[in-house]
Amino acid sequence: MTSAPGPGSQRAAIWWRRLAVMTRKEMLQLFRDVPIVAFLVYSFTLAVFITGNGIRSQLHNASLLVHDADHSVSSRELIHRFQAPFFRLEGEIADPQEGLRWLDRGKAMVFLEIPPRFHEQLMTGEPTAVQLLVDTTNSPQGLSAAGYAAQIVERFGQETVQANVGSSEESSQNLPIIVSDHRVWYNQDQNDTWFESISHLLRQITIFAILLPAAALVREKERGTVEQLLVSPLTPFQIMISKVLAMTVVILCATAVSLFGIMQPVFGVPIKGSIVLFFSLTALFVFTTAGMGLAAATLTRNQAQVGMMTLLVVAPMLLLSGLTTPMEVMPAWVRHLMALSPLRYYVEITHGILLKGAGSSTLWDSVLAMALLGGALFGFGMWRFRRQFE
Amino acid sequence: MNLRRIATVASKEWRETVRDRMFFLLAFLLPILWMLVFGYGLVLDVENIPFAVVDRDRSALSRDYLYRFFESRYFSFQGYLQSEDEADAALQTGKIRAAIIVPEKFEERLLAGQPVGIQTLIDGTFPLRTDITKMYVIAINSAFSEERVIDHVSRRSGIARAQAEARVRPIRLEVRYLYNEEVRSTWSMVPAMLMFTLMVSSPLLTALGIVREKETGSIYNIYSSTVTKFEFLAGKLFPYVLISSVNAVVLWVMATLWFGVPFKGNLPFFLAASLVFVLSSTGIGLLVSLMVRTQIAALLITLIVAMVPTILYSGLIVPVSSLSPGSQIQAHLFPGMYYTNIVRGAFLKGVGFEVLWVDVLALAAYAAALRIVGYRFFTKRPRS
Repeated sequence: MTSAPGPGSQRAAIWWRRLAVMTRKEMLQLFRDVPIVAFLVYSFTLAVFITGNGIRSQLHNASLLVHDADHSVSSRELIHRFQAPFFRLEGEIADPQEGLRWLDRGKAMVFLEIPPRFHEQLMTGEPTAVQLLVDTTNSPQGLSAAGYAAQIVERFGQETVQANVGSSEESSQNLPIIVSDHRVWYNQDQNDTWFESISHLLRQITIFAILLPAAALVREKERGTVEQLLVSPLTPFQIMISKVLAMTVVILCATAVSLFGIMQPVFGVPIKGSIVLFFSLTALFVFTTAGMGLAAATLTRNQAQVGMMTLLVVAPMLLLSGLTTPMEVMPAWVRHLMALSPLRYYVEITHGILLKGAGSSTLWDSVLAMALLGGALFGFGMWRFRRQFE
Repeated sequence: MNLRRIATVASKEWRETVRDRMFFLLAFLLPILWMLVFGYGLVLDVENIPFAVVDRDRSALSRDYLYRFFESRYFSFQGYLQSEDEADAALQTGKIRAAIIVPEKFEERLLAGQPVGIQTLIDGTFPLRTDITKMYVIAINSAFSEERVIDHVSRRSGIARAQAEARVRPIRLEVRYLYNEEVRSTWSMVPAMLMFTLMVSSPLLTALGIVREKETGSIYNIYSSTVTKFEFLAGKLFPYVLISSVNAVVLWVMATLWFGVPFKGNLPFFLAASLVFVLSSTGIGLLVSLMVRTQIAALLITLIVAMVPTILYSGLIVPVSSLSPGSQIQAHLFPGMYYTNIVRGAFLKGVGFEVLWVDVLALAAYAAALRIVGYRFFTKRPRS
């Protein structure tokens, strides 16, 4: 086998050569489309940078409007505690009726009303209440704002009491208080740029991986060049896999640029696990997602159809795979539906490898699920493709 | 300008769209399917956070404390663990997102009137979930803590519970949620899905329609005909504006009847504003179609310039006010943000033109600007 190549290995060599030639053809065709290349570069560099920098999913700069009917030391102090980064004091109004109008106009998200005699009541130990109106047209943000406000008011109240009563009996050392102590793991500072830049990278990979091979295949069908390929000695498998291979190589390179050019040096995203494992699994993900696109391509006749079809699939994938909302909160049937989304597994894998330093021993179930899904999709695509053209 | 020629181009385009049955069907089906999946799936109430417990005290009081987590709909109990190491491992696999560690002598110290520290380990990979989990834990801890303290104070000082309560918690915070009184994320997400769907599907329909003609070469018939640029573009866009407008109405009906989101605003105003929005989102499709020659490129670029910014910068999930200054500029450059204000305003706040006129004007300006750019750059003579 080694010195004198037999007919078998020669055939294998030709098979691989043909595959390489086809892959090269796909690459050439891709790079000839200048707008695509321009957007490829933009998506994996500048867009990752902008998104990583810009998006804050936690409460940030919630606009606060205040009506202070007391104008005392205590009311000033309480207002002062609604601070950046969570709140931003938008203004103060004399007429509480005006507050609703601000909320209607969207000029304020939270309206805090401090009653008259607030300071007096606090000092005399009379119970008092402050009112908070919260705009919940964006419900998680509204809840979050109310939660932070509750913490601020509670702490302010306790500190005032302690300062007043003095350290006589109610000093915190002599009270059965529960002290909350948190340790946030894998991202101690809850750094949004890590999560957002990773999410963005995954979104871009998904879009390119599903769309490019699918459109490339349908274009050949639409123009009839697929007939030329089929009368050539190429097998249908080679025609299909070469498209995936070409896009996988391009996407892996783009991912490397994004990861080592932007995310690691600029945002300090840690790469705790194995880089080799990450890139191998990225390749598997691209392969699986491309299989999805190819399956769609075999079901459609022209690029417009495949465009609508992939759009139908890709939007739920991007929004419901755990990049925008946590998986746990979705209703069961949506979670089951999302078991069909390779991105769902890839999100687990990426967070696992980059942030948690997980290895294949903890990630094997995600990897297995993705591989099975990819195999099934690819098999389905091959079967349809064969049936159509042989 | 000749109205008959516009009508001819429009009817040609309409027939071409209708003839491709699958495309035509998907153009209407896609918004409906998205609305169903997202209406149910895009839930932002962080609930059922899977968590585990390491209870080193195993006392009546520690059970009483933990019971509040078991009962809460925000948490979903996955089991007891023996040690912190086990908690680490479970966090790493993602089986749990939080672990609560109750220290030894929990009961003893509390009964003796001494403070106790409760440690919580939280998975930080998803910042929004981390933040909300932390908030829920703090809320449960302080509620429990307050009760213990009130108990303690009333016993020690021999005063009534109510009096002790006033002493321990001098300020009450009365929160009123406006517009979405039960704080259901469905009510905020479903109207916003109108924006998302129209913002993503309309440009795609338009761009594909125009580039299809370029790629197959049938546009040469137009080049050589007497149809003017204006007539061609007006006729060409008509079917897509029509399809998108029909979709807007269908989505509105789904939002109000199927998902039961209240519509408090003025319907004629809302429909008019939606038409303006559809005109600007189809304009994006027009712009994309001018930049590219192939449908692949049209698809990809539409997804990147329409879908990704809509997820990120339209106020769909993250409000525009909490973006960084640079991203806020980007948000103002896309029409999605203005329409998000309009849908949420019209559905939940019940405000109309008197409040939302700025957003409507911005959309109108956007639609006009895109059409002017499209008109300038569309040439009847292809560059060779």
